[in-house]
This record gives sequence, C-alpha cells and structure tokens, in this order.
Amino acid sequence: MSGAVQRVVVHGGGIAAPMAALAIARAYARLGVEVAWADTGEAPAPHSALVAPSDLATFHRLLGIDDKALTANAAATLNMGQQFAGWSGGDSAFLHAYGDAGSAYADLPFVQHWSRARAAGLRVALEDFSLAAAAAKEGRTGAPDKPATRQAVKAGWHLDAAGYAALLRTGCESSGVRIVAAASATPQIANGRIAALDIDGETLSADLFVDTDGKLVDALDPSAVTPGRPWRDRLLRASAPPFGPLPLYSRVAAHAAGWLTLVPLADRTALEFHYDSRHLADADAPAMLAALTGQKLEAVLEPVAATARARLWTGNAIALGRAAGSAPPLDSAELLLLQLSIAQLVLLWPLAAADMPEADIYNEEVGGTWSRVRDFTAQHFRLNTRSEPFWADARAAPVSPELAAKIDLFAARGLFAHFNHEAHVEDGWALVMAGHGIVPRGFDPQALRVEDQALMAEFQRQLRAVATDVRAMESHADALGRLRA
Amino acid sequence: MEGEPFNLVIVGGGTAGWMCAAACAAKLDPALYRVRLIESEEIGTVGVGEATLPQMKDFNDFLGLDEVEFMQATQASFKLGIEFVNWGRQGDRYVHPFGTFGRPIGEGDFFSYWVRAHNAGQAAPLFDYCFPIVAALQNRFMLPNGDKNDVRNAFAYAYHLDAFLYARYLRRWAEARGIARVEGRIVDVERDGRSGKVAAVTLASGTKVAGDMFVDCSGFRSLLLGGTLGVELEDWSRWLPCDSAQAVPSVRSPDFTPYTRSTRRPAGWQWRIPLQHRTGNGYVYSSADISDDEAAATLLANLDGEALAEPRVLRFKAGKREQAWAQNVVGMGLAGGFLEPLESTSIYLVQMAIMHMLTLLPPGADIDPALPAEFNRVMDVEYDRIRDFLILHYIANDADAPLWERVTTMDVPDSLAGKIDRFRHRAHVQAYRDGLFGPPSWQAVFVGQGVVPHAADRLADMLPGDQLAERLAGLHATIARGAASAPLHADFVAHYCPAPAP
Repeated sequence: MSGAVQRVVVHGGGIAAPMAALAIARAYARLGVEVAWADTGEAPAPHSALVAPSDLATFHRLLGIDDKALTANAAATLNMGQQFAGWSGGDSAFLHAYGDAGSAYADLPFVQHWSRARAAGLRVALEDFSLAAAAAKEGRTGAPDKPATRQAVKAGWHLDAAGYAALLRTGCESSGVRIVAAASATPQIANGRIAALDIDGETLSADLFVDTDGKLVDALDPSAVTPGRPWRDRLLRASAPPFGPLPLYSRVAAHAAGWLTLVPLADRTALEFHYDSRHLADADAPAMLAALTGQKLEAVLEPVAATARARLWTGNAIALGRAAGSAPPLDSAELLLLQLSIAQLVLLWPLAAADMPEADIYNEEVGGTWSRVRDFTAQHFRLNTRSEPFWADARAAPVSPELAAKIDLFAARGLFAHFNHEAHVEDGWALVMAGHGIVPRGFDPQALRVEDQALMAEFQRQLRAVATDVRAMESHADALGRLRA
Repeated sequence: MEGEPFNLVIVGGGTAGWMCAAACAAKLDPALYRVRLIESEEIGTVGVGEATLPQMKDFNDFLGLDEVEFMQATQASFKLGIEFVNWGRQGDRYVHPFGTFGRPIGEGDFFSYWVRAHNAGQAAPLFDYCFPIVAALQNRFMLPNGDKNDVRNAFAYAYHLDAFLYARYLRRWAEARGIARVEGRIVDVERDGRSGKVAAVTLASGTKVAGDMFVDCSGFRSLLLGGTLGVELEDWSRWLPCDSAQAVPSVRSPDFTPYTRSTRRPAGWQWRIPLQHRTGNGYVYSSADISDDEAAATLLANLDGEALAEPRVLRFKAGKREQAWAQNVVGMGLAGGFLEPLESTSIYLVQMAIMHMLTLLPPGADIDPALPAEFNRVMDVEYDRIRDFLILHYIANDADAPLWERVTTMDVPDSLAGKIDRFRHRAHVQAYRDGLFGPPSWQAVFVGQGVVPHAADRLADMLPGDQLAERLAGLHATIARGAASAPLHADFVAHYCPAPAP
C-alpha cells in the first residue's frame, strides 16, 4: 500500500512504552512496519505492582506472553477481584469479584430477586451468591467443568511491575523492536505533526509517534492538558513479606485520610499507602502505615498529581499511558486503559501516513472509555460513608451525569444504566454498588410473579450450588503450580 | 406492596395497546397490578400490513405465544430482510438482511476482507456472501437449522403480518388472562390539581376510569401525552420530509417473497408486504412533491395484483415526543413518536417501550424520578439511532427528482455527520450494545446505495491474496448450495402455518 505507515517511534518507558511497541510490532511487522522504542529509561517505581484485569489474558496472546513467563518473571499471582474494606467505616468489607452476581432466575437478572428479598428482610449479601466472590474468599480458583451455578469466573493477575516491564522489554527485543536509549529527546514539529525525534547524535524520523512520556504530545498540543482529580496527593510505596497462603484478591482498606492497597505477589506483598497531605502530615504518614500493617517498613514517598488530556491522538502522535492522563488509582484502571487503548490503536491502524482521520474515531472511542473507567472508580468515593473530612470531601466531589444516572437507577431499581464505551460489566457495577451499601429501593415488578417460597428455595439452591462449585475448584497454590509447569 | 392494587390504564386498543396489555397479562401479578384497556369501536386503528424485525419473535416468545398459531391468526409470512429497489440509482437493488455477511476468516472482520478483495476485483457482490439474502431472492425460506457451523443457521427472521389481526389476536389472548377491556370514547381528562398527574379519564357514557398510571396508545392524537400534558413533538421533518402515506391491499401475487420491498419513487417510496391472504402496499410521500391523487395513481399503477380497496390516506410528521414518559403517562406507538416504516421499526419501538416500562413500573402512585429518567434516556437512544439510519437511506441517492435533490444535499444530524466519511475512508462503523442497527445493517445500506469503502482494517491485509480469494470462493459456493437446499417460501408457509381464508 503506497503511503502506508512504515515507521513508528514509541517514546517513553515504564510499562506503557514497551507494551505499545511490542503490540505494534507483533501486529504489523508482518506488513513491513518498523518499530523503534525511544527508551527514556523511566523504570516502574520501586516496590510497585500491577493489578491486571481479567481481559489481559486475551491481550497477552497478542503480546506473545504466556502464563508461565508471568509466573517466572513477574512474581505473578491470580487476581479474582478487589476487596474494599472500611469504606463504610468499621471493618466492613466487600469483594468486587470478576464474575456473575448470582445466577439469572425466572428470566430476570439475579439482582432483581435479591433486591426484592432484601426489602422483605433477607440479610444475605449479594456477593454471597457470586461464585467468583465466594471462590476468591475461599482461596479457590479456576473454572469447574459444569458449574452448578452456571456462573462465569474470570481471573486476571497481580504482577511485579519491574518484572513485567523486563518481560515486555524481552518481548520487544525478540520481536524486532529497535530499542534506542533516549534519556532526552527533542521533537521536530512541522504542520501540526511530529516529523522526527532528535536524540543524542541521532534523528529518528517516523510516520507515527506513540508517546507515553508526554514530552512529545505536550510540545505538539500543549493546550490539551487540564488538571485531573487525583483523589489524594501522596503515595508511599513499600513491600512486606508475602501472605501465606496467597490471597486471590488485592485489598483496598480505607483509613482516615486515604487508603492502603495491598497487592499479593508470589514473593512479597506490595503496599501502596495513599493519603492526602491536607489531612495527614507527611511526617506522620510512616507511623500510620506502620500502625495499619503492624510492621515497620522502608517506604518510598511519591507526590501525586493528576492530569487529563482532551485529545489523545493529534496529528500523527498518540498519547498513551501517563501521557494520556492519570489513570484512576483503583480497579485495575491503569492496565485496563492501556490495554483497551493499544487494542483500539491496533484495530484502527492508520491507512495512510500523510493524513490520519482515524484520530477522531480513536479519540471518541478511547476518550469515552476513559470517562466510563473514571466513573467506575469515582463511585467508590461517592458512595463511601466514612465521617472523616477526607472522606466527606471525596463524597461531595462532583460526578459525571452518567455516573449520577447509574447510581440513581441502581438505587431506585437495581438496574444498570448502560452507556457507550462501558469497560466494566453490569454485574461488576452491581457488586460494587451493593458492596458500598446500596440496597435498591425497588425492583422489577415481574419478579413478583415468583412466589415467596419458590424464591427462598431458589436462593438456598443457589447458595448450595456456589458451595458445590467452590469445592470443585483448585487452590491458588495448585493453580500457580500448574501454570509454572 | 400493601392494600389496593396498582391501577394501570391503557388508553387505545390498536397494535400498541394490545401488545402492552398482553405483556402486562403475561408478566404482572394481577393481585398487585390491575390493568384495564379503554378502546372505542368508533375509532379505527391505523393497522396496515406490517413488516417487523426479528425482535418480534422475542416478544412473542416473551408472551409465550405459539408461532404457528400466531402466524395463522395474523395471515403472517416470513421475512428475511428488506429489498431496496431504485435506492442509490434507478435500477439498483439490494437487500438489507437479518444476519451478518460472511463468516470469520482471520484477525480482521469479514467485511474488511470483502472490501479488500472487492477493491482488488476478486470478490463477488457483498450480498452473495449472505445466506438469508441469497435464499430470499430465490423466494426460499427455512428456519435456522441449529448447527452453528452451518451457514444455514447464521440468520434471524421476522414476520409480515396483518397488524389489525395481530391486535385482535392479542386482545383475545389478553382478555382470557384477565385484562379488562372498557368500551368507550374518552371525552374528558381529569388532572390532579397539585401534582398535575392524570387522575382519571371520562368516557362518553359518563363513566370515569381512574388510574395510578396511564399508557397512551391513542395513536397520532397522543391524547394524554401530547394533548393533556402538552409534551411537544420534537420535529424531525427537516430530515425526513415525507408526511403522507396511502395504503392499499392487493390480491396475493404468485411472487410470494420472504422479504419486504421498498421501491424508491420520485416523491417518496413504495412498500410491498406479502401476507398469506393479500399483499399490503403503500406509498410514503412528501405532499410538497406530489398531490394525493397523483400519489394514489402511482401506487395503483405499481401493484402486482388487483387492488382490493381504495387507497386510504394517512398524515404524519416524523419526530418523537420530547419525553416518552411524563408525569404518570407513558406514550407508546404513534402517541410517542413516528418514524416512517422504511426499516419496519414501528412494532419494534412499541416492544422496546413495553419491555422498559415493565421493568421500570413504579410500585405505587409515587414515581421515583430515576425511573422515567431511564425510560426516556433509553427510548431517546432507540429513536435517535433509527432516525439516523433512516436518514442514511435518503442521503445516498441520485438527485433525480426535486425531493431527492433536497435530501441529498441537506445538513444531517451531528450524530450522523462524519459516519459516511469514516465508512468511505476505512469501512468504519461504530458498534454499540443496545439499540438498532448493528454494523452489518450499515454495511448493507452503504454498499447497497453505492458507498463502497476505499480500504478497510489493515488486520485484514495479513492473509495472502490467493488464500483470501479461495476462502471467498468457497464461502460463495457453500451459501449458494445452502440456499438451493431451502424450500420455497410459499411451500414452507403452506405446510408450516397455513392460515384459513379470511
């Protein structure tokens, strides 16, 4: 194809740059596309870990990364959900598990029957009807052959960020990506496009630029960056000894001025202590972390700010990862957005180097995805019921009209207001909103066709089916052993 | 839920009213929901021959209707798609199917492979890679055969039916299940002084019927929603200028097509809907471009059987009510909006309104504002998407008459602008989960009306050209063989669901 995109430069480091370079090379080297990675040398923060969504398994096939490599190089453990503790004060906890929230019954979603029964006095939590949630809490994973619940169970990963970055780099090396050290690079800009990148003693020209660092897209389109909502302004990272046995979920525990995330890895537990310096002095933070964990840990402080970018693809340059904006700090948002953005780029690969109308389509699709993913995290803050000033502020923060509609509708009827570009499934939203304490005020009147006694019998049947299926699943250790082999 | 049952009153007994009543009979507990339908034998229904979408089968299944009984009761035939004649250019024809094109080939989607092969001169017409189209154009029909590896399974089907008979059939069905029918013409509407809600309607007999909620199925009059509550029609006639139609039945033709036909004419378009006992015909036109008499003459000159009546004139305006649910009134069918039947969406829109209303029905007289908000949001999405898809049919044509000069140069809604350029550039069609229409529908209309992409997704460029040509040729042959194995539509209907002579 004449005038096709032949040369691509990916500029940046961390996870995003090698992931983009690898995906592009794996998809398009066969069409003669040459990929160079201008490596800024940015490494994942010390102690950092990644919470990878279940969809990443499919994405890894594009990247050519298998389960064995993840367990061998990135201290991987399986991720069946994220637990939220103390968001309503006290020790209350719920699990956002990656699977169904109960089994559909009498042609209606399970949530409708649950809402009806709650109104009639049932005390059982929605997640108790979820096979994925029950299995994760029991330390069981995998998929039973013929589940009595007929429910889906999905798993993603917990990954050591540095190990994962190294794995992506190895992938780039063996997939023909040319890696160029580029601690400082200067873009040559002409006619609203990037023509080339000047690096010490070399000029890298390309048809398409992917920037995960921000320097290129900032130079090209400086007005597109606006402040985002960081939710907190400080992050302490640390590591603790691994849990035994290894949990199948990460834990996000609210504290007076932020939250503590624990990510279980095979060889350590990664800790992220998020707090807001207006509500907790930097000098006091390490002591609070020690009090919460019962351990004295070496922690590294990172200030946190947030940005958002209006146009992700301008001219011939695409902002990805950090350059595209600050991913929400929960719900596997960072990898989810990265993966969906790269997949969209691969699908919408521009046909011509000279003019890229794909940019508008990409900006609509991926911009929409960002909005919906931000909503998912914003719901936690909106729905918290803690009394401290940090949490009262978080609760009062404005939300998008779409999120407001979702919360209103779920609270009114246990239903899900579906918009374009949703990145999380309905039952995920239901588990989280119910977990945060919303009991729908009403329910679909079609549920009333089921007699009370029949419904109670069905609930008992489902709880038994969940228990049966959980027993048929394998332990986390067995699953990891099988994946390592 | 304590005490008195919730009082639901359906106003109007056409297709919309009885579909709604039947759904209530099937899905609401009669001890908790009292449902009545008011209709007057003095007021006729619009009830022309109707073409539907595959979702109608879902609705009938939802009620638990028996397909054969339903088809016999409504003189129904099967429908695999719509044939568009003279759209694009005079003499052109294409079918918009209920199914996808082709089968998975590799990393790209089938349509991208077709575009690539087509532009290389190595593909048959797109429509030859679609089993229901190939079968339909031979007047053949079969039910999907259940084998997911067989091309003869990858489609859905709909019905052509007599909408008047469908309403009558549903009336019997709903009345047998406890829905009360109230005969009478509404002469007055009473509103609650404080809330402004509709409290009751008064019949000519003086009888007052009170309700907690009213479903307005009164047709174009929109008696409660538009009339009493004053909810305005959002006027879309600047994009969809046809404002009249004439309908006439004709004697059943030997050409018993398992598809609807839409033929573009100088001032609009003509429909043809084959039923078992007759053929339904109509001319949808812009009254600014043709007189009623000329339109009637055009219609009568273009029938393939003897006319069985004088043409009846209908007037309308394209648009939808600004809110489909306001206060305690939900508008459905023509009372909620009107979109010309170019894509057979009328019954579908009623069905969607019913399904969403059932799910969102309040438990008592107090209405949680989140419920109408969601209803109106999803119905707006449905209407807007159908509107844009209809406009697409209008804009991609030769400007061969004044109407067509205007519509091919008009400004289109923002939501449609850009879609055409994107399709031309790289066959891009946005996919969404809810609502009509999916990518295959857009592909059919674009390609059918002469908008062929310059290129497609590059993921489809990996497969070597000779392998692609071989796959396409194989698929083409498989579909042709499959279609030839299906029985004739006329024979299938005569065997499966023969209706008694009316």
